[in-house]
Amino acid sequence: MTSFLAYSVIGIATGCIYALTASGLVVTYTTSGIFNFAHGAIGMLLAFTYWQLTVQEHWPQWLGLVVVLGVIGPLLGALIQRVLMRRLYGSSVSTTLVITLGLLLTCIGVATVLWDPGEPRSMPEFFADHRVRVASIYVSYHQLTMMSVAVLVAVFLRLFLFRTRIGTAMRAVVDDPELTALNGAAPDRVAMVSWALGASLAGLAGILLAPLVSLDIILLTLLVINGYAAAMVGRLKSLPLTFVGGLALGLAEAHTIGNLPSNVLNIVKPALPIIFLYVVLLILPQARLRVGRIVTTHRAPRVATLRESLWAGAAFVVAAGILAQVLSPVDLFTVGQGVVFALIMLSLVLLTGYGGQVSLAQMTFVGIGAFGMGKFFGGNSFLGFLAAAALAGLAGALAALPAIRLQGLYLALSTLAFAQGMSALFFKNHNVFGYGGRLAVGRPSILGVSFHGDKAFFMLVCVTFALAGIGVLALRRGPFGRRVVAMRESPAACATLGLNITFTKLALFTMSSAMAGVAGAFYGGLRGQVGLNDFEMLQSLVLLLLVSVAGINTVSGALMGGLTFGLFPKIQRALPGIPSLSFLGAGVGAIALGRNPNGWTSEVGPNLEKVRNAFGSRAAGAAPDVDVEAVPSNA
Amino acid sequence: MLEVDQVDVRFGGLLALHDTTLSATAGRVTGLIGPNGAGKTTLFNVITGLQTPTRGKVAIDGRDVTKLKPHQRSRQRVGRTFQRLEVFGALTARENILVGAEIRNGWDSTSEDPRMVADEILERVGLRDVADRPVDAMPTGMARLVELGRALAIRPKLLLLDEPGSGLDPDETDVLGDLLLDLARDGMAILLVEHDVELVMRICEHLYVLDFGKLIADGTPAQVQADGAVQAAYLGLDVPV
Repeated sequence: MTSFLAYSVIGIATGCIYALTASGLVVTYTTSGIFNFAHGAIGMLLAFTYWQLTVQEHWPQWLGLVVVLGVIGPLLGALIQRVLMRRLYGSSVSTTLVITLGLLLTCIGVATVLWDPGEPRSMPEFFADHRVRVASIYVSYHQLTMMSVAVLVAVFLRLFLFRTRIGTAMRAVVDDPELTALNGAAPDRVAMVSWALGASLAGLAGILLAPLVSLDIILLTLLVINGYAAAMVGRLKSLPLTFVGGLALGLAEAHTIGNLPSNVLNIVKPALPIIFLYVVLLILPQARLRVGRIVTTHRAPRVATLRESLWAGAAFVVAAGILAQVLSPVDLFTVGQGVVFALIMLSLVLLTGYGGQVSLAQMTFVGIGAFGMGKFFGGNSFLGFLAAAALAGLAGALAALPAIRLQGLYLALSTLAFAQGMSALFFKNHNVFGYGGRLAVGRPSILGVSFHGDKAFFMLVCVTFALAGIGVLALRRGPFGRRVVAMRESPAACATLGLNITFTKLALFTMSSAMAGVAGAFYGGLRGQVGLNDFEMLQSLVLLLLVSVAGINTVSGALMGGLTFGLFPKIQRALPGIPSLSFLGAGVGAIALGRNPNGWTSEVGPNLEKVRNAFGSRAAGAAPDVDVEAVPSNA
Repeated sequence: MLEVDQVDVRFGGLLALHDTTLSATAGRVTGLIGPNGAGKTTLFNVITGLQTPTRGKVAIDGRDVTKLKPHQRSRQRVGRTFQRLEVFGALTARENILVGAEIRNGWDSTSEDPRMVADEILERVGLRDVADRPVDAMPTGMARLVELGRALAIRPKLLLLDEPGSGLDPDETDVLGDLLLDLARDGMAILLVEHDVELVMRICEHLYVLDFGKLIADGTPAQVQADGAVQAAYLGLDVPV
């Protein structure tokens, strides 16, 4: 009984924090229609700022709270709304995802520059060492603070939304922004207030949560993500249900921890909120197909013909052959890795560029592919590619399944949950990568030709990319591709033609993740081994953002994005002062360019054409540079 | 062909459709008119399964489809267009129709070549000359014809058209009217929502009038035109009913 009570108190206290962070999320989502993936990162930034002021600069706690939650938080929220989110009204889910994910990575990047991630920090509890005896157990003052803050915030939100003018306008905007504007409220101002409020709530949750865990940038960002599950319970609309969801999540988590044997617990614990999110997604009722078109301002680039893609593919392979001869082994590895990343990104061209669906777990599928290659058929067999494709394809279907009947945002969340869950349950499991945490992945021989050497394997990677690019374009030109694009443009219209959208989405997801799996086999083969930290969810975000910036609906975009990603370690070595450069680069890039789904490579094509015309001839001959040669394939 | 039986749709406190009963018969164009917000598009959504009714039944070709999902209903050969365009903007007109024919090949036992179907329909709706233009570069009227063509690609027995004439000039409207009469003559049941009174009067054999979610009149165009309640609803006239 005593332990039951104790775990309940822990659960309720943590649940209150989940409810706080989730309510901030719901407030911004309902008023602006944008699901803020950076919510946790904003909370993290504010918690660090608070730590800086109170612990480092020795400000009194109350002053720190007032400045961080009353000034910096609202200003940050309002600024984000003003500069970024305002321009996203009516954008597609994938575009808003790219921007908010860009913001998430940017926040992490900024934080690592300001606060060296290597240095351990801790945040003191509120009223540290004070506790009170309730029945048979002790409750710390910090836990009491968490609970009372949640209650106060709930009361405040209720009064704010129902008793104030701006609050009423906020609720009205949820129902119909256009109508509310006609009635004299400014949806823009309302959205700004809600973002300011949301940021402060995120900060409050971060500050209360930080003492319970260590003050770690990534950890704190992701912990707040756990609140997503609570927000789902309220279906991103209802605040009371969101609070219920938060408490349920906290209690379920605490009691599971209290009752599971410790050997199981160690594996399951980090994945608990994710499992909760999964269950909630499964229970959520199916969303109605919505009619009403999203305004797209960017016309998709023309799809290359078979002839064009064959030529471009051949040119790419020739260029790769030259590179294989002239580059040093280190540079060859860098470029090879870039092409492997490009292959992974190609799977996103199919899924996101053509199909409009978003996966935040692509690196997870890559990891499963590498696992398939390394574990089966001796670790270096051609058949390993099949194992990689099959396992990753299956995983993709599994990741999408809970949310496949729901709209795009939920699907993205489901993959996020899957990535986090797999990271905790699969990759960190000793039975998967062995006790050293590293799994050897070999290189195959195909039809008697050995690809064990670096140059040979590089060529295999490049030829595979060329074939995959040609294949993806052929798919796009064929019936399946048309169907997928049609589904992106109007699911409702597809349904009225008799298309089973759920099935088509599942097929697309399976295909894309199988492709990422094959890329994973190459990823492992190129490096010789893979480690348990290679497939973190955040890497999937970097991947998604970089291909979005380069052009997520073209093969050339995937190639450019991949090469950029491959180059990051090299640039990082040159700029040691900026840790997590890839986060910052991808984040800032996405924020700046993420609204054009065609990416910057779509700008290169026409400009290249101009240059060519200026020189009066079509540039011929083998170009030594992969980059330039591949662009015409789709631009 | 289509039977809508005592359908209610409630959005919160608003009764968008109230006790609506109507039918559409094969071989003729049935009109559905009413002021904006009367519930016409909601009714289309109920028939195609995009909106679940609070009460009532929908039957197509004698079969109760109320419990079927949207794509299952379409497979009963129900085609529709949308008031707010739902074209596949990134695809060309030909591809829009082609997708329809290809999707149909997935659920229908047919040996029709989708490309031939697309060519035939492009010709029939008069889009042959612009077939290879992307639809989001087209004017609204033309895009509506693309939607009509796409709906025809599944060879519907029942065709629901939501304001197909808006965005067309008078000549184009005449051509559209002839086409719809042609389609009806081939045995199709057409339910037409349209604001162009002239077009409605010319091609519809039977008319239903919706106002505030309620059917206020039905009959031949001439009967409806003479109806006092209809005049009141449309013109705001205070005519005793």
